Amino acid sequence: MDILKNAIAGTLESSDVLVKVSPSQDGTLTLHIQSEVIKQFGKQIRATVMQTLEALSVSAATVVVSDKGALDCVLRARVQAAVLRAADATDLDWNVL
Amino acid sequence: MTDAPPGIDLNADIKLDFHTVSLTESPEAEAEIRSLLHDNGLDLDEQVDTFVVCRENGRIVGCAGLDRDVVKDVAVASSLRGTAVSLRLGSVVVKLAAVHGHHDLFLYCRPDSVQWFRGWAFHPLVEVPGVITLMENNPLNLPKYIEKLSRERRPGTTIGGIVMNANPFTLGHRFLAESAAKDCDWLHVFVVKEEAAQFSYSDRFRLVTEGLADIGNVTVHHGSKYIISRATFPGYFLKDKATVEHCFCGIDLLMLREHIAPALGINRRYVGSEPLDATTNSYNAGMKHWLSETPSAAAPIETIVIERLTVDGSPVSASKVRALLARGDLGGVEKLVPPPTLAFLKQQFTRAHDDQQAGR
Repeated sequence: MDILKNAIAGTLESSDVLVKVSPSQDGTLTLHIQSEVIKQFGKQIRATVMQTLEALSVSAATVVVSDKGALDCVLRARVQAAVLRAADATDLDWNVL
Repeated sequence: MTDAPPGIDLNADIKLDFHTVSLTESPEAEAEIRSLLHDNGLDLDEQVDTFVVCRENGRIVGCAGLDRDVVKDVAVASSLRGTAVSLRLGSVVVKLAAVHGHHDLFLYCRPDSVQWFRGWAFHPLVEVPGVITLMENNPLNLPKYIEKLSRERRPGTTIGGIVMNANPFTLGHRFLAESAAKDCDWLHVFVVKEEAAQFSYSDRFRLVTEGLADIGNVTVHHGSKYIISRATFPGYFLKDKATVEHCFCGIDLLMLREHIAPALGINRRYVGSEPLDATTNSYNAGMKHWLSETPSAAAPIETIVIERLTVDGSPVSASKVRALLARGDLGGVEKLVPPPTLAFLKQQFTRAHDDQQAGR
């Protein structure tokens, strides 16, 4: 999926996560994660975001994740929503998600 | 249904409503916001018109001002501190800004509130100690910009820097850059990127590049949000104000000293003496203070003031060129600008004249 524009999803509230997705300037995938529980769950958060991006075939994008202790399912949903908005996607294969 | 045990849900009985107000359209809201800001030790920033407000039973209990991509004047009533109101307010601000196309935001706050705004996913960029801190919410943008700049680093012991708006590029700019280039090993010139000037950024940048093309030891850089922008130096774009707040001037200059200058090794900042423009004059006065005298983790930068070029006994300035242009005095303009700028202005003037003729 091609990232065409900036998009955000989520909130800054407790147990949620704010995800910002924007087009990549050099064709690479850059992921930045900030989290109040980065020490405990940083690896897990990164893995979940990467898996979700992979499932959506996103290979070039800048993704900034501001986590407030979201559960994995919430994180996945926020990343998906931000990517779909950024890709202007209307026709979805929900099976891969 | 059972009541939640006391102390569990802090927001259970608070009915909150978030919406935006325009101060010009709603004087009552303005009065309420002013008083809330006052309770928080803040003054209303006159550049902000749009506020996100949080109302509890109709009363404004939280507010955050939004000036394009800059968040200012954030306050929450003392009765609601420690609740989730702040984070909801932050979420609404981020979303509203995104709707208007601003995805990466700056934020001004007092240094003692920095921790609070980390919760909004902002991180501090630069601080005028005890007065004001500039924060931003995309941690990737500044490092990316600094990395790009540092590729333009040149060897030498004296590396100069000039920041110019060049609206438009005059013989005065040329004289300043030429004098500076002679005085140091390499000179880095930044063109202010903000589109608040009479001439567009792309035209200003092109004329600076053409006007300095024959000087061997100069690099002309694109400006950015980190050098004299609406974010780092709001006052610069309010030319009718007689003076610029000391602290805003400090934010921009410390940004240069702590982030931009180290990327290029800049250790001298050149500036033209300023007899005409009060804003620029006040900025120049602040320069010495913030770039070298004030303590900072970054190395000091020497400020070198170069006497402004005069033609026929009066100082050359871009504002004078604009005034002459407005009167249609191209002969007067010719004495003050180099050939590329003159060619551009003539072309613009002819076009405007033709349009006027066609309109009749």
